[in-house]
Amino acid sequence: MKPTPIRESVTTIGHDGTRRFLQPALIFGSWWRARRAVAWLLIAFFAALPWIEIDGFPAVFLDVEHRHFHLLGTMMGLGDIWLLFFVITGWGFLIYATTALLGRIWCGWACPQTVYLEHVFRVVDRLFEGDHVSRAKLDDQPWSAPNKMLRRGARAFAYLVLCWAVAHIFLAYFISIPGLYPMITDAPLAHPAAFVAMAIATGLLFFNFWWFREQLCLIVCPYGRLQSALIDDDSVIVGYDEKRGEPHGKAAPGIPTGDCVDCRRCVQVCPTGIDIRHGLQMECIACTACVDACDDVMTKLKRPTGLVRYASLRELNGGKTRFLRPRTVLYAALLVIGLIVASIAVLRVQPAAFKLSRPPQTELYALSEASVANVFRAKIQNKDEIPRRFFISAESPATKVTVLNQSVGMVIAPLTEITLPLTLLVDRQDYRGEFNFMLRLRSEDGEISLLQKAHFIGPDPRTLKQ
Amino acid sequence: MTKDQTRGSKPVIMPHSYDGIQEYDQSLPNWWLFTLFGSIVFAFLYWLANFVTGTLPDDRVAINTEIDALEARQLAAIKDLDEPTLWKMSRNSKTVAEGQAVYNSLCFTCHGPTLAGIKGLGFRLNDDLWVHGNTPTAIFNNVSEGITFEGKPTGMAAQKVLGTGRIAAVTAFLLSKQKEGAMKVIPRKDEPSQLTP
Repeated sequence: MKPTPIRESVTTIGHDGTRRFLQPALIFGSWWRARRAVAWLLIAFFAALPWIEIDGFPAVFLDVEHRHFHLLGTMMGLGDIWLLFFVITGWGFLIYATTALLGRIWCGWACPQTVYLEHVFRVVDRLFEGDHVSRAKLDDQPWSAPNKMLRRGARAFAYLVLCWAVAHIFLAYFISIPGLYPMITDAPLAHPAAFVAMAIATGLLFFNFWWFREQLCLIVCPYGRLQSALIDDDSVIVGYDEKRGEPHGKAAPGIPTGDCVDCRRCVQVCPTGIDIRHGLQMECIACTACVDACDDVMTKLKRPTGLVRYASLRELNGGKTRFLRPRTVLYAALLVIGLIVASIAVLRVQPAAFKLSRPPQTELYALSEASVANVFRAKIQNKDEIPRRFFISAESPATKVTVLNQSVGMVIAPLTEITLPLTLLVDRQDYRGEFNFMLRLRSEDGEISLLQKAHFIGPDPRTLKQ
Repeated sequence: MTKDQTRGSKPVIMPHSYDGIQEYDQSLPNWWLFTLFGSIVFAFLYWLANFVTGTLPDDRVAINTEIDALEARQLAAIKDLDEPTLWKMSRNSKTVAEGQAVYNSLCFTCHGPTLAGIKGLGFRLNDDLWVHGNTPTAIFNNVSEGITFEGKPTGMAAQKVLGTGRIAAVTAFLLSKQKEGAMKVIPRKDEPSQLTP
């Protein structure tokens, strides 16, 4: 007998801690079709990105090996990594804002776990092991049963091939397709690190989709646990209209019944093994399978659909959903502020980087009869697609600083970085002790102007007096 | 596996109550417990292998082995760099061009872009007057190890920055401006680029 979902326990974990496997039924409803279209679009997008070239580089290429990050035609170096702040906070913010408005639509529509499990791996399940009834039967059969080994084995092989493919696409984001191709065609031992990374990624994906499945959503992923803090009475969730449905059960003379006929179709199709009629639960990934299932039954019974539907708790209690509320207005305002700040930050990123350090194994300063000298090491990166001529000059209002050998500047090829020693001289007459100043990197065409703080090191000026 | 008797029924509520909050007597998932106890076992075995028996390779030892191998390779390369070899390299246009590129990336800051030297910083290198030795190997060693004057380092020790190959190339570049047998040693005070005008 299949376990009956109760609110107090997780259906997929037995009272002795054992894992219980679900074989949810497929419901081919309109929400399911819409979700499948979105899922295929997302998978196509994920698989296509490494192939699309913009300005000679893949659209998204996180070149960890060379510490260059190509994003839609712009190159970012490690120095721009602080922009990740906007990606991470923006991501968190979007999760908060969409949850307040539309509940966990991320889980049901866009999360890779759902997208791949529901629209790739469960398709494989149905292909090799049939519908939910025959799959459950196969689960209960001993391994000696005819064809069980064959069907499970074929399914496992299909899983492995798919996981292997997904792992390759994922790795392509980090080493690009041209980098990936020789790794595929060469012997595994020619690229041992990549081979091991690929094997581990394939293995993890296989474990996740074959065995772990909804445990990731229920126990590993923190999002579901935050749900109660992120939604309010006006957030749209997948909910059961208790007012209309209860008391559930078969219609009988003399007993008042609601629209729910207790067919348990919503329970059969649930991929996390809950009964949506118990209300909003931590396990619900808002996948709408129960909506499709209930609508199907209601249509057959010639009753209005929507007994289980996208609705807010307020709407389910007879009220009207308020989309415009202090929280959503605040979120919108914060979104605008965040977008403005992020845009300014991204627009201010210059197609060059300028870093200063002291060369190793050298004296801090040198003295000649006429001047005090400091040597810096400048790292200049041209992140643009065109070569540029750069100059470095000192900006020091109090003490005159001369930068040697900068009259002709230097030409830096596209997407390259040079390290250059800089000799700075201060006249003995001008030297009044150590001081701070600025070094400016500018391009000949005036496009780039970057400042770096620097500190001029020297002896106590009194020791220089003759 | 014990037979699951309470399937579908409500779990037992534990007798204790803290601030009015009670809890169900539920089992953790076995896979979760496996990760917990597995990491405890791993931590113990790792501690044993790393700190008690020393079975795991020490990172310091591995790095030192690697550095030693690198140094051995460099020493082997230096052994072959005798006077005739360096002179021969200085007549090879490819090696000289490579050396010039190295010079322009580092040495020019003190010795000037035209090898003319910078007063107070670096000696003149385009004449036949040499302060710290007039042989190819002396130049190579000075670039590689630096120069100490009156107990203070003055010339830059470039071995760790450039490596043997590029130091040999830059030596060849400097020698390309010289004639074999015409290099003279002069005292430090007579270095032309450092004299007061």
